[in-house]
Amino acid sequence: MSELASFPAAATNAAPPRSGPRSFAPQSGFSPWNDPSQAPIVRFDNVTKQFGDFVAVKSCTLDIYEREFFALLGPSGCGKSTLLRMLAGFEQPTDGRIMVQGQDITALPPYERSDVNMMFQSYALFPHMTVERNIGFGLRQEGMPKGEIAARVEEAMAMVELKPFANRKPNQLSGGQQQRVALARAIAKKPRIMLLDEPLGALDKKLRQQAQFELMRIQESTGTTFIIVTHDQEEAMTVASRIAVMDKGNIIQVATPNDIYETPKSRYVAGFIGDVNVLEGKVSGIADGIIDIEGAVSGCHYKTRSNEPVSIGQQVWLAIRPEKVRITHDKPQSATNVVSGKVDDVGYLGSISHYHVKIGNGQRVTALRANTAMTVGPPISWEDDVWMDWPTEAGIILTS
Amino acid sequence: MQTRFSWFNVTSIVLGFAFLYIPILLLIIYSFNESRLVTVWGGWSTKWYGSLLNNEQLLTAGWVTLRVAFISATFATILGTLAAIVLTRLGAFRGRTLFSGLVFAPLVMPEVITGLSLLLLFVAIGMDRGFWTITIAHITFSMCFAAVVVQSRLLDFDKSVEEAAMDLGATPVNSFFQVTLPIIAPAVISAWLLAFTLSLDDLVIASFTTGPGATTLPMKIYSQVRLGVTPEINAVSTIMIAFVTLGVLAASYVTKRSTMKAAADAQKAQ
Amino acid sequence: MRRWYVIAAPYIWLLLFFLVPFFIVFKLSLSDTARAMPPYVPVYDMTLGLANFFSQLDFENYSFLLSDPLYINAYISSLKIAAVATLFTLFVGYPIAYGMARAPREWRPTLMMLVILPFWTSFLIRVYAWIGILKKEGLLNLFLMNYGIITEPLNIMNTTTAVYIGIVYSYLPFMILPLYSSLEKISPALNEAAEDLGSPPWRAFWQVTFPLSMPGVIAGCLLVFIPATGEFVIPDLLGGSETLMIGKTLWSEFFNNSDWPVSSAVAVVLLLALVVPIVVFQRAQQREREAV
Repeated sequence: MSELASFPAAATNAAPPRSGPRSFAPQSGFSPWNDPSQAPIVRFDNVTKQFGDFVAVKSCTLDIYEREFFALLGPSGCGKSTLLRMLAGFEQPTDGRIMVQGQDITALPPYERSDVNMMFQSYALFPHMTVERNIGFGLRQEGMPKGEIAARVEEAMAMVELKPFANRKPNQLSGGQQQRVALARAIAKKPRIMLLDEPLGALDKKLRQQAQFELMRIQESTGTTFIIVTHDQEEAMTVASRIAVMDKGNIIQVATPNDIYETPKSRYVAGFIGDVNVLEGKVSGIADGIIDIEGAVSGCHYKTRSNEPVSIGQQVWLAIRPEKVRITHDKPQSATNVVSGKVDDVGYLGSISHYHVKIGNGQRVTALRANTAMTVGPPISWEDDVWMDWPTEAGIILTS
Repeated sequence: MQTRFSWFNVTSIVLGFAFLYIPILLLIIYSFNESRLVTVWGGWSTKWYGSLLNNEQLLTAGWVTLRVAFISATFATILGTLAAIVLTRLGAFRGRTLFSGLVFAPLVMPEVITGLSLLLLFVAIGMDRGFWTITIAHITFSMCFAAVVVQSRLLDFDKSVEEAAMDLGATPVNSFFQVTLPIIAPAVISAWLLAFTLSLDDLVIASFTTGPGATTLPMKIYSQVRLGVTPEINAVSTIMIAFVTLGVLAASYVTKRSTMKAAADAQKAQ
Repeated sequence: MRRWYVIAAPYIWLLLFFLVPFFIVFKLSLSDTARAMPPYVPVYDMTLGLANFFSQLDFENYSFLLSDPLYINAYISSLKIAAVATLFTLFVGYPIAYGMARAPREWRPTLMMLVILPFWTSFLIRVYAWIGILKKEGLLNLFLMNYGIITEPLNIMNTTTAVYIGIVYSYLPFMILPLYSSLEKISPALNEAAEDLGSPPWRAFWQVTFPLSMPGVIAGCLLVFIPATGEFVIPDLLGGSETLMIGKTLWSEFFNNSDWPVSSAVAVVLLLALVVPIVVFQRAQQREREAV
């Protein structure tokens, strides 16, 4: 009974992979992608890119709107960087068009795409120029008057707090400082669209989190559209207004971080973003928006609330986030979504613990529990026989 | 990991360097020999250096050699750098395979063949042989060495630096002069030095392509060497060795200092 | 387009001054000697037309090369001398390169420079230096007799042995540098692993280090073998009358006999002999570069 008390705490405290402010949460009302009157600032129209026989990007269509912080997320080699490099002009699409503000820019070389600037993964700082010269480089290419360049460089350096290092060369800077020079150099051009290719990949974890908030601050204060490429799902969840999950050259799902996490479209997306339990089964009944599933593990029946169009007998997968699974020593009173098993492994992470439980057929279910003071009773340990349950709202039906 | 010299390694390095350097050291030492007989030590003297100054022919040949080397090294570096860019940056084009063959073949081509074929070309197009034909011949083979030196630098520098320049609005030409060239400058300088010394050294190709009035130092040395070892030749050789050694040492000192400075800077940034 | 200017400048230069000359050499090898300037016929004459020009070309010079054992012997002995000298260079160069690659890291740039330095000093001068050492009353004999190691002076100068010494000495840096660069890439941890798994150091070398250094061995051997085959200066200055090498034959055919067509035929055959190693070398280089 005491275990029950911890249930709500576990569900809210041990929140999804990140916590903290989210500037572009859908609640804030910023959602131009839902507004049919809005024209996208960037449009990939059926874009394909082949390198020899290898298809890096397969007929991708994607709209990105002004002031968005858009993330392209996927494992390395999924085509996300190629997509970005095509927008910057370093790669030519094999097929399809790229539009910026309604203009077809597919054939333009990078130096004629003044709306677009890029921050490189390697930073690509000019080693023979000082910080100041690096940041002013793009402005000098435009032939801007000297005084104006100086003012713009000053402004950009102030934005990223680099003023004390104005006369240093890149090799006299730390990794975090170099990253800020790279950012300032692109921002100084005041592009409408800023491209960031794994911009924080070289930083250690702590610095990376700081830099993420700095990117969000600058994005908001300048009103620039940011498009970031990353393989780090936490980073994408933290910074982005919308995320496109990519795999093998295809865009699998485009949605807000919240929707991606709560309603992934496929097992691939569910597994890529955060931890997930996937239970295989067959649909055995549909009634009043509740779908009954006969589990592949014998004796397991699941019920879940879903509008997914499925038919009786169809093979489906039920995805449940570990923090939504309750774990107890005693059999819970509720009658739905109850499974029993033996604890196989316990991972103690300080604020939370993971419990990996074998429920038969080699299937494992992970439950997450916050280690709050409210958790009383005997601790759950290896080889314990335990019960697990989750509400009908927690499971998501996936058909692919 | 801290590696240390093992006995085997020390022995092989010491013997190897002894083999490489003893002949050169003996040559230098005997250039200061008082005696005209090469094998008899007659005490220290610099008289052979003095007599060089009065050897009009040798001085003229030296001057021709330096001019050829300077002009050919400069053109070879320009053409070689262009060739390196073609090979590393311009991607595929029709005739690329032939081009890379043309760049690498002269590196291993026997000099007698290069020399003979160039001479026959100059005769066929009716070009007067002399200073300029030697220079053209030297540009041709040393540009390939220059191309290899610059190419290896272009291959290992981060291409995204050039992309960044173009992304910031620099045209390919601007990005080359403002970004690429300053970064590869050390390699371009070593390419020039290499082309210069190759030209300074060449006997065979110059002998084929020369004409009346254009005798280079190696040709002069060769014709005297055939007659036997003389202290004057030792003296000229010593001067040439000193010239090249100082150049190489200076170049390596400059690069070493800049890499040490970079290391110190990197330390400071921590 | 600008791109084409960049390609055109070096391309046209090399076509004009490297490729076209080879066709002229080939054409000349099919011509006949003449007492004229230039000393060969036919010279292309517009008034007589192409057909007339081609009808005068023949393979006479090649049958002459085949019929005279001097040329055949010179070819065979060039290839033999170059091959043997290449092996010697490998034996001398490998321990040096190995020692350098296993030297303390801070020493390596200095050692590298010491290997490169002789390569920058004049080839002619380095060959010349050996004359004073090897000749009958030279420094080597002087030294050995002084210490009573020999009583009669050794006859090395003007023999094939002197040519071997000259080639090994002159081309040693070409062998060491590629060997060093492939040996340096091999982590000493691999040998430690082999020894840990029960292979004694000598066997670990043959089973691990040597196979991994093969790219360097191949590149080094080709870099020595190819130019050594056509070498002129070394056999001319250090070799004797019994040392036949094709580069020297070509030179004397051209400068002493003024027989341009025959020297062209010699050049064509020499080139044919070297085509295989040159292509192998280029392929190896291409692979190296693509691996980067």
